[in-house]
Amino acid sequence: MAEQKTFMDVFEARGVKRRDFMKFCSLMSVYLGVSASMVPRIVKAMETKPRIPVIWLHGLECTCCSESFIRSSHPIVADIVLNMISLDYDETLSAAAGHQLEEVRKRIMKEYKGQYILAVEGNVPTKDNGVYCMVGGDSFENVLRETAKDAYAVISWGSCASFGCVQNAKPNPTGATPIHKIIKDKPIINVPGCPPIAEVMTGVITHVLTFGEIPELDRLGRPKSFYGTKIHDKCYRRPFFDAGMFVEDFDSDAAKKGWCLYKMGCKGPTTYNACSKIGWNEGTSFPIASGHPCIGCSEPNFWDNGPFYSRLANVDFLGTDSNADTIGKVAVGAAAVGAAAHAVGTALKKSSVNENREEG
Amino acid sequence: MGQLYEEHYVWRLPVRVYHWINAIVMTSLFLTGLYIATPILSSPIGEASWYRSMAWVRYIHFGSAFLFLANFLFRLYWAINGGDPYGKFVGFKPWSPIWWGQPFKDQMASYLFIKREEPNYCGHNPVAALSYFLFVFCGSFFMVITGLAMYGENNPGGFNDTLFGWVMPIFGSSAQLHHIHHLVAWIFPVFFILHLYAVLRHDIVDRSSVTSSMVTGYKHNVEECPELAE
Repeated sequence: MAEQKTFMDVFEARGVKRRDFMKFCSLMSVYLGVSASMVPRIVKAMETKPRIPVIWLHGLECTCCSESFIRSSHPIVADIVLNMISLDYDETLSAAAGHQLEEVRKRIMKEYKGQYILAVEGNVPTKDNGVYCMVGGDSFENVLRETAKDAYAVISWGSCASFGCVQNAKPNPTGATPIHKIIKDKPIINVPGCPPIAEVMTGVITHVLTFGEIPELDRLGRPKSFYGTKIHDKCYRRPFFDAGMFVEDFDSDAAKKGWCLYKMGCKGPTTYNACSKIGWNEGTSFPIASGHPCIGCSEPNFWDNGPFYSRLANVDFLGTDSNADTIGKVAVGAAAVGAAAHAVGTALKKSSVNENREEG
Repeated sequence: MGQLYEEHYVWRLPVRVYHWINAIVMTSLFLTGLYIATPILSSPIGEASWYRSMAWVRYIHFGSAFLFLANFLFRLYWAINGGDPYGKFVGFKPWSPIWWGQPFKDQMASYLFIKREEPNYCGHNPVAALSYFLFVFCGSFFMVITGLAMYGENNPGGFNDTLFGWVMPIFGSSAQLHHIHHLVAWIFPVFFILHLYAVLRHDIVDRSSVTSSMVTGYKHNVEECPELAE
């Protein structure tokens, strides 16, 4: 293990050219939203500071986050990422296994006490003593608590770790709980998305390395530089939205012409992520660019805000699946029927009063 | 029941103006809100930059919303500082068990046809006051706060986001905030029906010209004003 090596040492050993290295540093400054004058600081940090070890734990998850991570978009970054974050422990990617690997984890925890970053993919099933996710003979909750104890910061990698994702969608049979509800005493960086964009990881690590602190987070604990704006506000189809030009059917001319997917249930207007800025797969595309509405995968409870192809979420209403408009119409109808019935009652009362009066 | 025997100047001009601005703006907000959720006009043909239909509807929604808020704040100001006995919600004390006592029960019993008497009030009767509190005050407050939180999303880190952005995590996510805002909007047409029915009914039953009082300010046929006695 390259314990005291800097990132630069590793890059050199890997044959990364100086030019590519500089490109990487300027790219990071763009992603982090820092000014161009900060690039030398990033370069210096990369050259002089020892790299930050990362322990990567897997909880209740599908590994799509790891898949995204190892396909980090820009080719230079793709090669760099894995070396860069000095991924010393990862149950999926490590060559070692079993007790050998667990020893590595324990050793990093000891040697880099308070310095290593803990990346968590997946969340914690808390029901039935955590039997729904056992790692190395112990419940994931225990492993997580033990590893987080001496960490510098925790990165909740993906929607599962950040907010719960599909595991804690109703009715949440395993009691799946996002990381920030388990670990309370460490700075936690939520990187939601199903999966999240790999560059966020590189960006966060670069930020910690360069500035010695975690990046600025928003109210939901997400790095502002990546989750600061809605997909909608940076969507290249936004002019079609403003013009009222909507796709109404996937099998239509409008879909072919690339009009706004709002009416197809696009969640871009309520989703905070960098997809419409950074793109996926080496910046090639992102869902909306490929003609599919955004499903809002980086938003809390996005599975319960369904269906994906409708603007209005289904709400459980008197045992039926309804949406806000159905409930509203039923309420208005009930009010109208109630008023009409009351009017009849009033008329009957009036006529009986009049009769009494006539009789009296 | 009685004859036209006295006229009372109940609703002063600021209250009437507030009422009608509120009615117009609420209608505008409800209709544009529904349109934003489900844009039903068919798409125009041509270059997107020639058209602004969706943008305009949203603009009208936001513009109406700020008018609505200003009107709402004005009404609160008038209640506190207007020196208008009928404009300051004076008898409305839902925190006190006395308020829920006989007058409220009598009015409720009358509405439910349990009692024959139709109590008469110069201002609002207790049940009406409660409905205005729940629908107009609480409803408006909720829509304003959630609305400003969503409006703040247009400019992250800006004024509205800083002041009202905290509302979003309470409801989970931006999408859930939108949904709850949409759902609660339906209380206004429900209120509209109940309000309109109650007003027309009172006009017919009590003949107190409550309907036109929101235009002229005058109510008639009121023999005493119990809520002002205290």
